[in-house]
Amino acid sequence: EVENMAEDSADNVDLASKQDGQVVTPWEVEADADEGIDYEKLIVRFGSQRISPELIERMEKLTGKKAHPWLRRGIFFSHRDFEKILDLYEAKKPFYLYTGRGPSSDALHMGHLIPFMFTKWLQDTFGVPLVIQITDDEKYLWKGDLEKGITLEKFYNLGRENTRDIIACGFDVNKTFIFSNLEYMGTMYPTVVKIQKAITYNQARGCFGFVAEDSIGKSAFPAVQAAPSFPACFPHLFEDKETQCLIPCAIDQDPYFRMTRDLAPRIGWKKPALLHSKFFPALTGSKTKMSASDATTTIYVSDTPDQVKNKVNKYAFSGGQFDAEAQKEKGADLEVDVAYQWMFFFCDDDDKLKKLADEYGPGPVRAGNKMLTGEAKKMLIETLQPIIARHQKARAAVTDEMVDAFMAVRKLSW
Amino acid sequence: EMSRVFPQCRDPLVILILLVHIIGVSPAPPATDSRRGWMGPPRGCPPARLRDPRGGARAGGVTSACGVLRLQGGGEPDPGAHCAAVGSQVEQETGGGVAEGKPHMGEVVTAFEVKGAVDYDRLVEEFGSQRMDEAMVARLEKATGMRAHHLIRRGFVFSHRDLGLLLDLHEAGKPFFLYTGRGPSSTSMHIGHLVPFILTKWLQDAFKVPLVVQLTDDEKFLWKGGGLDDYKAMGMDNARDIAAVGFDPDRTFIFLDTDSIDMLYPNILRIQRQTTCSQVKGIFGVTDSDSIGKMSFPATQAAPCFSTSLPAIFPSKADMACLVPCAIDQDPYFRMTRHVAAKLGKPKPALLHCKFIPALQGDSGKMSASEAGTAIYLTDTPKEIKSKVNKHAFSGGRETVEEHRRLGGDTRTDVAYRYIEFLHEDDDYVAKLGEDYRAGRVLSGEMKAEAVKCLQGVVARHQDARGGVSEELLRALMWRRELPVR
Repeated sequence: EVENMAEDSADNVDLASKQDGQVVTPWEVEADADEGIDYEKLIVRFGSQRISPELIERMEKLTGKKAHPWLRRGIFFSHRDFEKILDLYEAKKPFYLYTGRGPSSDALHMGHLIPFMFTKWLQDTFGVPLVIQITDDEKYLWKGDLEKGITLEKFYNLGRENTRDIIACGFDVNKTFIFSNLEYMGTMYPTVVKIQKAITYNQARGCFGFVAEDSIGKSAFPAVQAAPSFPACFPHLFEDKETQCLIPCAIDQDPYFRMTRDLAPRIGWKKPALLHSKFFPALTGSKTKMSASDATTTIYVSDTPDQVKNKVNKYAFSGGQFDAEAQKEKGADLEVDVAYQWMFFFCDDDDKLKKLADEYGPGPVRAGNKMLTGEAKKMLIETLQPIIARHQKARAAVTDEMVDAFMAVRKLSW
Repeated sequence: EMSRVFPQCRDPLVILILLVHIIGVSPAPPATDSRRGWMGPPRGCPPARLRDPRGGARAGGVTSACGVLRLQGGGEPDPGAHCAAVGSQVEQETGGGVAEGKPHMGEVVTAFEVKGAVDYDRLVEEFGSQRMDEAMVARLEKATGMRAHHLIRRGFVFSHRDLGLLLDLHEAGKPFFLYTGRGPSSTSMHIGHLVPFILTKWLQDAFKVPLVVQLTDDEKFLWKGGGLDDYKAMGMDNARDIAAVGFDPDRTFIFLDTDSIDMLYPNILRIQRQTTCSQVKGIFGVTDSDSIGKMSFPATQAAPCFSTSLPAIFPSKADMACLVPCAIDQDPYFRMTRHVAAKLGKPKPALLHCKFIPALQGDSGKMSASEAGTAIYLTDTPKEIKSKVNKHAFSGGRETVEEHRRLGGDTRTDVAYRYIEFLHEDDDYVAKLGEDYRAGRVLSGEMKAEAVKCLQGVVARHQDARGGVSEELLRALMWRRELPVR
């Protein structure tokens, strides 16, 4: 605990400023280097732990299941207190999962799917309940505009639309509670206000970079995102206030939860555990985060097979050499090549991925006749299309009743 | 002290300014126990500096201790204006005598009240509110067909915002509702707390309109120690005292924030979005080391000004006009709300401002629920009331009986008389007593005896009424249901 306290201290931490040539906050991600974010530096700066091979091995032993490719490949690369989760699982004690979505547009993209896909795997592997927060209030605070008619209702409705995509990921309705902050605030509020009391404006500003002209809504919002980390937030689900929470999220969400962990002991609550993922690179290159509002940077889950094909061919940043001859000679720079990077995420077949790396990237395999970018892109297209097709089919099958079922305040069974 | 040093000087305003600038002392804060929002006077700006940094005597204008002249007169002041707060708390660490404002962190010591001589006219001018004049009182009486409550007739309701517009609406057959509130600070309310509720009850009876009463248990939790559940419990207890005032259970909804936040939250978000941190810091003196809960709370108190914040009570999708009776120290708070209302295209709440009921010690002390001996509680026994008044009530009498018979007493500063003025219903009795005191026919002790009778009566009637508040009545008042609207 003492070690952890130092690690989690939110005081004097200015996470919002540029350090080591990169900025990582929930609203802004930017790196100077071409290769993108330096995750090693981030672990050091954030004070989290690397997910080690030993940890993965322990998990496999305990669950009797092979670890998800994203763990094995280091896409989920850092954690806080994940060993405690494994301890609980070993002692047959419960824990619950918490993740969320900010409904800023009705188009989810591939990057949004990743935490949900991983969370589903965690739910299936550990057999635990899951809560999913739809931050319609957050999006209104950040994106609402009276003059442009961007109203609160709009974000509530977007949230319900997004919930369909989330359900389409295949969560277990008996174990999953999805909630809109607008609708659930009545129950959440005692938890929220206790957390609000424990965060100073200075801390919030240092963590998130608020300025004086920002609204008071923005400054108070971090408490709302923190609240579901504590079982007190869900009296209908958890009687035991000591129930542990595990949060899988992209690394840029860590500031919220680092702050949450810092205040937890002060209120007398357990710190949530975390699993962090790397960023899924934008189609246009790994220096930035994918953006739902820029169609050239991403593939939407609603894209047609043709759109998938055209976008990958047209926009996917190539790490290939400047001409075919050089490419055949040298092979592509896999670090920046988006076709490869996306395969790294979405190709489940380890052998296939290795083959791609060997034939497309530098190295002895197929030397002098390295794979060309066009072929790598084709492989990616063929990998993506079925994933998207499955998702769209599942989404089409989601009814209003199913949405209501997932969002109903009721006991879960696990 | 001042009259020793400046024997010629009697003008209270000059005394006020001299005090502020020469001794660097702030006079006592207002005497109600309300703190932030329904809890009372908003705290102003960063800690007071003892001298006006611009130096020199100021010809006019009341300045806040950080040296910035509060608000231009007339018109709607910019709620972002620095140091807009009036009457912040000064915890009396020196006690008694001239207030030697030792400001707490984040509190401004503003020149507000000194020895009972608050210049309410000047306040009205600086705040840009409207004086409650005879014409307006007459208009009220015409609109309601009733004689105005003595608080209004005697000028304790001294200023307003947009009451005229509200009456226009009422005369045109449009509905409005009343909104007031309380920060559940302790289980025992005192006389000072009662005054706005007395006024509100009269308004409800006179206009036959619905009323919502907000109990800000969340606010109290954010500002004080203890658990959230403690404040819920205090809120429920305060609800009984509020019920005892006699509001119409068919037209009144009393609620705890924590119970009604589900209804309030959408409008709270809309208000939060339109309010910047620098505005809240400027108006309420919230600082960077305060919690984000304090920073965002003003929106929670603003929300019930809009009827759409309570859809189970007022189902109409269109916002209704609102009238907020409150103590004057809360004005900056609702100025902010009016400013946001304009931005949201919602109707601005109209306001009625009350003067403060003085602390027993007069204006160099504050009636505080946390300091025994300064306030008359609604739970005090007749004996306690008598003892407190006799021991502590500031007297406007002369030093000797002879002098008093000759020169008469000062009804402006005599706290016993002030209480009678606030609370006693009989105009003739009050007027005559005042005359007799000023003429020296009634002595200080006699005045105190009259005040004791009056206070004992008020408290006894309240205790009776509170005893009569059944569980059913409380439940009925706090039940979520549609209230009848004109």
